[in-house]
Amino acid sequence: MSATAYPAECPAGRNRLIVLMLLVPGLLALLCTFLLPMAWLARASLSAGGMTAFGSELTLANYRAALTDPFYWQVGLNTLWLGVTVSVFAVLLGYPIALFLARTQSRWRGVLTALAVAPLLTSAVVRTYGWMVLLGDRGVINSTLAALSLTDAPIRLSNNSLGANIALIEILMPYAILAMLAGFGRLNPALEEAAAMLGANRLRVFWRIILPLSLPGVLTGALLVFVLAISSFVTPRLMGGGRVFVLGTEIYSEATVTLNWPLAAALAMILLGIFSTVIVLYQRALRGLEG
Amino acid sequence: MADPHIIVEDLVKTYPGAARPSVDHVSFALPRGEMLALLGPSGCGKTTILRMIAGLIDPTAGHIRLNGREISQIPVYRRNMGMVFQAYALFPHMTVAENVAFGLEMRNIPKSERAQKVARALDMVKLGGLGDRRVTQLSGGQQQRCAIARSLVIEPELLLLDEPLSNLDAKLRDEMRDEIRDIQRRTGVTAIFVTHDQDEALSMADRLAVMSAGRLEQIGTPRQIFDAPASEFVAGFIGAGNFFPGRISAPGLAEVEGIGTLAFDGAGTPGDAVKLMVRPHRLKLAQDAAPGPNRFAGQVEKVTYRGQILTLAVDVAGRRMLADMHTHAGALPQTGDRITLTVAPVDVTLIGGGGA
Repeated sequence: MSATAYPAECPAGRNRLIVLMLLVPGLLALLCTFLLPMAWLARASLSAGGMTAFGSELTLANYRAALTDPFYWQVGLNTLWLGVTVSVFAVLLGYPIALFLARTQSRWRGVLTALAVAPLLTSAVVRTYGWMVLLGDRGVINSTLAALSLTDAPIRLSNNSLGANIALIEILMPYAILAMLAGFGRLNPALEEAAAMLGANRLRVFWRIILPLSLPGVLTGALLVFVLAISSFVTPRLMGGGRVFVLGTEIYSEATVTLNWPLAAALAMILLGIFSTVIVLYQRALRGLEG
Repeated sequence: MADPHIIVEDLVKTYPGAARPSVDHVSFALPRGEMLALLGPSGCGKTTILRMIAGLIDPTAGHIRLNGREISQIPVYRRNMGMVFQAYALFPHMTVAENVAFGLEMRNIPKSERAQKVARALDMVKLGGLGDRRVTQLSGGQQQRCAIARSLVIEPELLLLDEPLSNLDAKLRDEMRDEIRDIQRRTGVTAIFVTHDQDEALSMADRLAVMSAGRLEQIGTPRQIFDAPASEFVAGFIGAGNFFPGRISAPGLAEVEGIGTLAFDGAGTPGDAVKLMVRPHRLKLAQDAAPGPNRFAGQVEKVTYRGQILTLAVDVAGRRMLADMHTHAGALPQTGDRITLTVAPVDVTLIGGGGA
């Protein structure tokens, strides 16, 4: 049914027209800033390799190059592994905070929630530099340890994947907390009371009631952090000191250093494929949880 | 009461920063197998009492004794009480049967025995065969039944119900009212329920405790509460009433300003200032306007037709009185009519005057 099928004075038809018109600005913005660039990216990934000038012929050579090179397989695995460790730890560390914020009766709850997500107010770049100051060989931690004569040589906390992990976990934890808070809608103090009345002590209330009911939130938090972690490149690059290779950093260097845009585009499409797979798996898992 | 099942003694709950206690020195006892209604307006402390008995709130002072044993220090999960929550609080991630089995599981009852007990409990509340449903697929009434089965399957010492009927529509409410009463009688479980609905309290409970502002105003059988209210608050909260301030002139007689003499059931101490009450449905139309005791001459201000009965608002010497008349085929009083109402002395209640 199209809006024009109704005369203008028909309220239903007019409402429909208004709705469509209200959608236009947003759809236009999406089209220009998202769909067109994505289409261009997909097209670029199918162009002949080399510099930035694309030929008109279509080729799968870039994908072949990416998928047959063991280096890129390693990069892909590094990326997935980074995503898994960062999302697991960000959720583990954020869960008690989110649970506290969701359950507290304190009148400071709003302030505490704002504090928990306040790190989002500074950019990831700034916070990454902050971590470099803390974790570097001559950073705060190592110089304190050395001054106390607890260590002879600095502990390698940065310029490796450990540093990238630590910084990413902290940087992405506010997202995990926010997503978990949003997903804790089924938590209800009356359910905990009901379980206690039926003989469940606090531990059993947690395992049988709070944990299962908060799983959708945990899953959402993990998904969000995972997606942000596998697409990150500033933090792995700065904290990894050029020794941590993930898809984000590789796409960046193919695009800006090697100037092989078609290969960068192909890698980006592969990353997009990983995103889609993860989101489908997430939807399945969520449906399983909620029955 | 020879052997009370539960005794509440001088129970007090004061929340930090509150001007007055939410529950103020409340004491009562309940025999085994009886059903008590905690009745009162919202904020009177009735739910707080229920939650203190359940162990969900710690009392500020006072004692709760079950079978003669102090339980106020026992944590909620060891009290073995069943509670039906206002919004049922069924676990949304479990099936009906899993919900009912939860308490048995916490008691480490073996699986086969658990299944039997769950099936029996579901049959009792007429949910047999629905055990595999998700609780979110149940109707409001079915959720209520599931909550009752869940709290009774553990064979609790006490069954506590928090406004059990408030989330149901009117028709279902009447049905569940009888059902809950019936299940309570059959299982013989001692029960306490909280309500603000006087009909619910009168029709379900063996005993009523009427509360106001944290205090227990009166406890007694429905009949005692209705016919011999201890205070004007109780009289007004349970049913409508016409109240008259007066002074006792002789045993069984009181003078009421503007009305005259009221003869009542009882004696009283001559000279005392008292309150008298006449229920609207006890008033009758007098056939003549002759003066005398227990007669109220006035003008009909408003007539409300309610099917079986007609409620008259009558202006009697500047005081508005309510009178319920049974409707019949003949002529009924109209607005503006001058009428005389009369009442038998036995139907005039001295507030706080004791037994009826």
